[in-house]
Amino acid sequence: MQQFSVHKIGPEIQIAGIDLSFTNASLFMVISASIIMLFLFIGTKEKKIIPNKIQLIAEMFYTFVAKMISDTAGSKAKPYFPFIFSLFMFVLFCNMVGMLPYSFTVTSHIIVTLIMAVFIFIAVTIIGFAKHGLKYLSIFVPSGVPVVLLPLITIIEIISYLSRPVSLSVRLFANMMAGHTMLKVFGGFVISLGLLGGWLPLGFSIALTGLEILVAFLQAYVFAILTCIYLNDALNLHH
Amino acid sequence: MTIPEDFKTRLKIAKKKIKKQIENDSENRGSFMGNAFKLGTELVAAVAVGTIIGFILDNWFDTKPWLIIIFFFLGTAAGILNVVRTANRMQKED
Repeated sequence: MQQFSVHKIGPEIQIAGIDLSFTNASLFMVISASIIMLFLFIGTKEKKIIPNKIQLIAEMFYTFVAKMISDTAGSKAKPYFPFIFSLFMFVLFCNMVGMLPYSFTVTSHIIVTLIMAVFIFIAVTIIGFAKHGLKYLSIFVPSGVPVVLLPLITIIEIISYLSRPVSLSVRLFANMMAGHTMLKVFGGFVISLGLLGGWLPLGFSIALTGLEILVAFLQAYVFAILTCIYLNDALNLHH
Repeated sequence: MTIPEDFKTRLKIAKKKIKKQIENDSENRGSFMGNAFKLGTELVAAVAVGTIIGFILDNWFDTKPWLIIIFFFLGTAAGILNVVRTANRMQKED
């Protein structure tokens, strides 16, 4: 579909045989990132006791993420607040910018979400090994399992661990892609049924747009909270 | 910057209100739906990862198609384990 196609903007850039051209995907990432920065800059410029609207929203985002981290990963995860906050804001704004007409949804491409998820996966693994050394491997060996079953359980645990980045990335990508495809299909119905029958799918697509905005927020939330949960597993070893 | 007295009391009242709201309220409604979205992919992802591992190991050891079958079932087990764990975590949250 046209709205998912990636095309180059400007000159082709090749570095060491890798195509690094600026595409519309990169453009919309830059747009999302600049909206976040502008929004937070304006929101934190005047530090009033009684905040104005923008400051209020910026502070709400801050407390929302801070509460999420302290609830799921505890106080040890405080140093990772900047990372999780930027991750949440980036995914949220990419999803939301994608809801605008004629825009491009960066998160509806699996390579974008997979890169983020793999980065989180590797980072969490490194943090785990750095904090606990080789003891971190004990997450693959649950306690209280009969010795006979231990090799089997360990393999299952390893597969379960490796499935984390896949489920993290596929969930975000599939939800965004499916939502936009559904909107497109209902939009197509409006055209093909014309003036007589087109009103019903039009109503549906309005309702679905509302649902999509909810999903856009929810998926950013789920992405961030799962990162917190994985971080919690790496920071606090107990099974 | 001095804080007026009446503002302090208002702040106190507002803080109390927020505390009450957090204690007994339905702010988690959004996260229920988030949890529901989580479960499905949790299962599928583990099955896919298990099968892919089986496929790669099969190519390494030239044992087609045995390892892919074994790892498909191991992946399914891992997926069920994931789902059970997520469900347990959801129960603990409320």
